[in-house]
Amino acid sequence: MTLGPRATDSQLRERFSTSARRLKGFWALYRMSRIGLLGLFLISAFIIMALAAPWIAPYDPRALVGFPFQPPSGEHLLGTDQIGRDIFSMLIWGSRISLLVGLLASATGVVIGTTVGLISGYFRGLPDSILMRITDLLITLPNLPLMLILGALIGRSMWNIILVIGVTGWTSTAKMVRSQTLSIKERPYVEAARSIGAKDSQILIRHIMPNVLPLVFANAIVGIVDAILAESGLSFLGLGDPTKPSWGLLLRYSNEAGALATGRWWFIIPPGICIMLVAIGFAFSSYSLDQILNPRLRKRR
Amino acid sequence: MGFKEYVGKRTLQGVLTIALAVTLNFVLFRIMPGDPTRAVSGDPRVDTATRLALIAKFGLDRPLLEQFALYVYNLFRGELGISFVQIGRPVIDIILGRKMVNTLILMGSSMFIAFSLGIGIGVYAAWKRGTKTDVSFIVISLATYSMPVFWFGMILLLILSYYYNLVPIAGTVTPGLVHPNFFEYAKDYLHHLIAPMITLSVSFFGGYFLFMRDTILDVFTEDYMLTARAKGLSNRKIMFKHAMKNALLPMVSLMGVHVTFLISGATMTETVFSWDGLGRLIYDSVRNNDYPVLQGIFLIMAVFVVVASILADITNAYLDPRIREAVE
Repeated sequence: MTLGPRATDSQLRERFSTSARRLKGFWALYRMSRIGLLGLFLISAFIIMALAAPWIAPYDPRALVGFPFQPPSGEHLLGTDQIGRDIFSMLIWGSRISLLVGLLASATGVVIGTTVGLISGYFRGLPDSILMRITDLLITLPNLPLMLILGALIGRSMWNIILVIGVTGWTSTAKMVRSQTLSIKERPYVEAARSIGAKDSQILIRHIMPNVLPLVFANAIVGIVDAILAESGLSFLGLGDPTKPSWGLLLRYSNEAGALATGRWWFIIPPGICIMLVAIGFAFSSYSLDQILNPRLRKRR
Repeated sequence: MGFKEYVGKRTLQGVLTIALAVTLNFVLFRIMPGDPTRAVSGDPRVDTATRLALIAKFGLDRPLLEQFALYVYNLFRGELGISFVQIGRPVIDIILGRKMVNTLILMGSSMFIAFSLGIGIGVYAAWKRGTKTDVSFIVISLATYSMPVFWFGMILLLILSYYYNLVPIAGTVTPGLVHPNFFEYAKDYLHHLIAPMITLSVSFFGGYFLFMRDTILDVFTEDYMLTARAKGLSNRKIMFKHAMKNALLPMVSLMGVHVTFLISGATMTETVFSWDGLGRLIYDSVRNNDYPVLQGIFLIMAVFVVVASILADITNAYLDPRIREAVE
């Protein structure tokens, strides 16, 4: 069934109801996993926190609103940092940067990886060899040092962090998409499309890509966990954007302020808990998705 | 395909990867904005005489292709330039020395702990799959995976060092302390090693555990497991003789791949604990824009990872003939 401009109403309705049924079935499976539901809850909570930051946070995260180094009090829930900024407000606003970087960096990686995988698997030959050698090289090189060096070379800003995480984090997607493409390419309907004269780009986008996307989606979620963790690490090491408070940057401030040696736990524990909870949210969701989408795992139980 | 051919093919692949890494390393440090000679010699901290010598040695006034040839030539002689920070000290001396030993000790011990725990608990959880024990181990391992390594290190320091004063807060040995003999030195060193080692082990336990559990569950579906059960073997024997032995093979190759992640984790951990190793050196060099040192570490690491993964694959192929045949 093709859905060109001439698709009739009934065809559209039928198509819609199948995908709705599929979604319902998927949700029924997902709902059974307690781990998955917990993950979804954590993600939603942090998204709400990020969206509602201006209303939840009591102070401007960049403004000097009190004396430096104050312990937690009713006025400053988590105290103040070394120059008198409110730590609790920075924590709330930090969710925006951490989530944004996580989502965008993972998306960048997924787009690069899917493109590379599709081209590699569909056209084979020389492009495949070249792209796969590059992929192997990137898999081999230690990620964090590579990101640090790239980050140091291209300069310190939020967009550069997204770029750096994206261009170093697409290899697993590319490998997976490639192997999927290799097998889908041989299926009869692709052969049929080719025999009626469909162009390569059409076959790739309309026939192969839709079949690869569910797995890409599952991969993208793991990518978000890695990206959020990478962002916190890079910011902690000083590659972050000082004008945009993220949780990693907050931990850097706490380290610079000597929070460890003076036992200021309120400066150290909360940002890490936030990073961990968000990452757990995505990790739990991806774990349950994997149990559903990966037929090998489903059969085993 | 025979074993020898497999080894040959895998080695060739490795050499190719290293060649690519060398090229990337050359290109990366020359496409950055500003003066192209900056990466090797153009730093205000380097005096004019040294700079001219460096320009001559690396041919920085020549065309790019010639520079590349000189770069490779110098590489083979172990010549990686000099550090911008410790002027006059060759990069190769800084890297291949005590720092490398420190990093290897930290990485090796952590890997050993994480690996043993991951295997042991992974087998146990797979055996008890679906029970509360199993689920709680899955939750714990996903949680440790989701934790920033450096933050866990900070929490550990807060508890062990600030509140209980059990471990030193930073460094590899107590600064300024003169150790009367080697035994005392080792004691001091190990005392400093505990906290970073726990941090790195915990951060790697989750991955090994999940992988081992998954592999064992896969092995359970094999026919020979049914046979073993039908023969009336004890649970213990089935577990250790049949399941674990077969599940260990994929773990070995995972270990090879994992060296990359270990290096990333070590970089973080060393920075938090001021452990005097290569990871800490990367951090310091990034902060100080010490490009020659960065370039050098990057290369050493690439070679190290490639060699490790080849060794793991070859061991695996030696142990399991099916793998050799699967490779085209």
